[in-house]
Amino acid sequence: MTLTALPEVPAAEPTVGSGVLEIRGVSKAFPNVQALDDVSLDVRPGEVLAFLGENGAGKSTLLKILNGDYQPDVGTLTIDGEELHFANPREARAAGIRVIYQEPEIIPGVDVAENIFAGELPKRGPFIDRRELNRRTAAELAEYGFEKVLPRGRMGDELSSAQRQLVEIMRAVKSKMRILALDEPTSSLTDDEVDRLFALVRRLKADGVAIIYVSHRLHEILQLADRVAILRDGKLVMVSQAEDLTEDEIVRNMVGRDLGEVFDRHPAASDRVVLEVHDIKSDWHKGVSFDIKAGEIVGFAGLIGAGRSELAKVIFGELPMTSGSVSIEGCEVHIGQPSNAIAEGIGFAPEDRKREGLVLVRSVMENTTMAILRRLTRFRIVQRRLERQIAADYVERLNVRTPSLDQEVGKLSGGNQQKVVLARWLAAKPKVLILDEPTRGIDVGAKAEIYRLIDALANEGLAIMLISSELPEVLGMSDRIIVMQGGRITGELPGPGTTEKQVLELAMHEHLKARRAAAEAAAFGGEKE
Amino acid sequence: MSETQPAALPGDERVSPIRRVINIVGVDNLSLVFALIGIIAVIVWLQPLFLSWQNLMNSLSQSIVIVGLLAIGETVVIVAGMLDISVGSIASVASVTAASAITMGAITMPGDFQIPLPFIQGSMPAAIVVGILTGVALGVINGLIVTKLHVNPIIATLGTLAAFAGLAFLVAPDGKPVGVVTQPDFTWLATGRLFPDAPLPALGGRGWTGVPILFLVFILVAGIYHVIMKYTDFGRAVYAIGGNDVAARLAGMNLTRLKIGMYMLCGATAGLAGVLLTARTTSGNPINGVGFELQAITAVFLGGAATTGGKGTIVGTVLAVLLVGVLNNGMNLLGVGTFYQRVALGVLLIAAVALAQWRQARAERARTRTAAA
Repeated sequence: MTLTALPEVPAAEPTVGSGVLEIRGVSKAFPNVQALDDVSLDVRPGEVLAFLGENGAGKSTLLKILNGDYQPDVGTLTIDGEELHFANPREARAAGIRVIYQEPEIIPGVDVAENIFAGELPKRGPFIDRRELNRRTAAELAEYGFEKVLPRGRMGDELSSAQRQLVEIMRAVKSKMRILALDEPTSSLTDDEVDRLFALVRRLKADGVAIIYVSHRLHEILQLADRVAILRDGKLVMVSQAEDLTEDEIVRNMVGRDLGEVFDRHPAASDRVVLEVHDIKSDWHKGVSFDIKAGEIVGFAGLIGAGRSELAKVIFGELPMTSGSVSIEGCEVHIGQPSNAIAEGIGFAPEDRKREGLVLVRSVMENTTMAILRRLTRFRIVQRRLERQIAADYVERLNVRTPSLDQEVGKLSGGNQQKVVLARWLAAKPKVLILDEPTRGIDVGAKAEIYRLIDALANEGLAIMLISSELPEVLGMSDRIIVMQGGRITGELPGPGTTEKQVLELAMHEHLKARRAAAEAAAFGGEKE
Repeated sequence: MSETQPAALPGDERVSPIRRVINIVGVDNLSLVFALIGIIAVIVWLQPLFLSWQNLMNSLSQSIVIVGLLAIGETVVIVAGMLDISVGSIASVASVTAASAITMGAITMPGDFQIPLPFIQGSMPAAIVVGILTGVALGVINGLIVTKLHVNPIIATLGTLAAFAGLAFLVAPDGKPVGVVTQPDFTWLATGRLFPDAPLPALGGRGWTGVPILFLVFILVAGIYHVIMKYTDFGRAVYAIGGNDVAARLAGMNLTRLKIGMYMLCGATAGLAGVLLTARTTSGNPINGVGFELQAITAVFLGGAATTGGKGTIVGTVLAVLLVGVLNNGMNLLGVGTFYQRVALGVLLIAAVALAQWRQARAERARTRTAAA
């Protein structure tokens, strides 16, 4: 492993009253993990500092320390020579630090206005002054151009995650703050909303607020950030001016090695079509057709909302199909619910393994044998010895690190949880395996293991549908790449030799075209479509 | 990393006998066992009569049967993350249908329309079957409402609690209780004793009267449900659905069918409880089951079932039923008034759940500490 840049020692001459937040020698350990290791960094007023790093690199831990959720084991936070110790988020807020997470707290039963002003509603006597509240909300929203995106009368539980984040941002903006940290704020925003958010960030920056910006979207960061700090395995590996960096450099520093080592593929695609999908139409899809051959890994790329996860669920019988057909090994199959799909030899590891994949309160063994349990019964009684044997086999094969087969799955790390999901489907011996974001939230080591496993499965003749939002993963693993957009397939690319740019063009193609068309239509007097 | 040991393999299962007993009872249930022992110790110290055969076999073992049966069925539904508030009303309906079947050889339907079943008149086993089937049928209704109409289980069974309570009167001829005194076979269910002549008095206790049939039925049903919950794929599905129903469905489980099945199992015990209530009160009375549902649900939560589903055992429920029974029985012996007894029961439930929550919160903290980073 070679470092391409040494950690820059931040300029150490804090002028009194400069308002610079100095993070000095901060470390934080959890059982088994050194989450942060001696991190020193300055956060300066009036700049956008991007935090980059893979999942598990320590970004969230650092944000949580700033927010007062965690306290550092060693090290200090200082502003203007004053040491800060936050016992909880309230104290951090009082000091002018505001961290906005991806899933902010929203009160479901009240509208946007009350959510924004929660805790400080304007009152007239004992009653809420509705008129004053609406007036102030409208003013705040108009000031930042959010009045269209965030209707002030909308109830909390009707808000999209993008809107929830905007509410939280509005809450922060109207309080006095010195530092605003945004954790992946754009992951669920549309381009238009992203533009507005950027405008807001630039404005706050001009007002002298320090902005910490966490994101995985590199092009976005290079557009917005003044400086970039890269974390890896809890260490700060690089701090640099954004304009001096290229995306390649950033990725190399984030991963700490060439991606070639991570994706060790042995192509094994045959000519035998295993899964054939013909013209699927549904609430999410406008006619999708493709096939996957035995031993082939087909990557599905696209933006969020392109309909990839939904496609997997339609094929698996979890979501309804309005028309179209699915064939396995040449025979059309009728799948009304997931159990039918499993019976036809399809396995599906969903995107959100905690919510959809695992029963967290049950054991590793029960989760592993869940899809095949019926086959392990005699007179409806589960043959426990057989079950234990099978679970042990797959746990060993997938190298799941667990103290015992009876351990609650919820107590394992993310990577090991994902391996249990995979173990379940391997035990079911499927012909087709659908993997939706198989490495989300997993550390680099476990990722490489999972990639090796997927490769091995393809070599055993499985047809693999790999849905992933991480482009390097799609590019590194796929024999073929299918790009989706707005419920359609917009293109197909060969796996080897394709670049991120080619994929992104296809993923955004229609979107750009539509925007252009809409703009033109508006120019010609609003006659749309 | 401390979790890097390879997974335990099936071979290393040699365990000590003590460990084996603990495994059967379940680690989570140990605190219940200790609480039970503690309470018994206190009661015996204050009132040694508690340990007399007369008390154990007459008062205690019989007082817990009805609530116990309802609680066993309720456990299935609660572990699956649902609830059945209608069990008391189901027992009332079954009480009436079983009594009609054995005395008149007919089952009355709403509107005084009768289904004649002359061949079962006077047959005790047939009456039991009719009662259980009544419970199963009403369980199917609960299950259909929850799965097909997507009504929240609490609301659904709150509705059927009222509806079935009315139904109990509608299936009673002229809305009146059906007496079964003329059926000694049947009332034997409540009064009968097994081994009345066993040489147990020699062991020091006096007044041995044999083991009540009622209590044996309870133990038998508990055993069957324990096997279903712990050793069958259906039981596994109950836990999986209670823990995460989306994951269970995506692992190929048919939630609709399984959930209806669970309400059927719950209805079955309620139906049987209704039959035994008829035998005990010598009357198929439409108000026989009123009020039992709360005690049953209380016992299930006291027995360690999680309100969110996915956790709980038949053994835990049985222990909780015993705990409540012993407590009530002991307080009776000590002359504590019923009002105080009710307060004590409420406090016990809240204390038990608060303790469980506290423990879970502690475990949760430990977990996030490991999982973070």
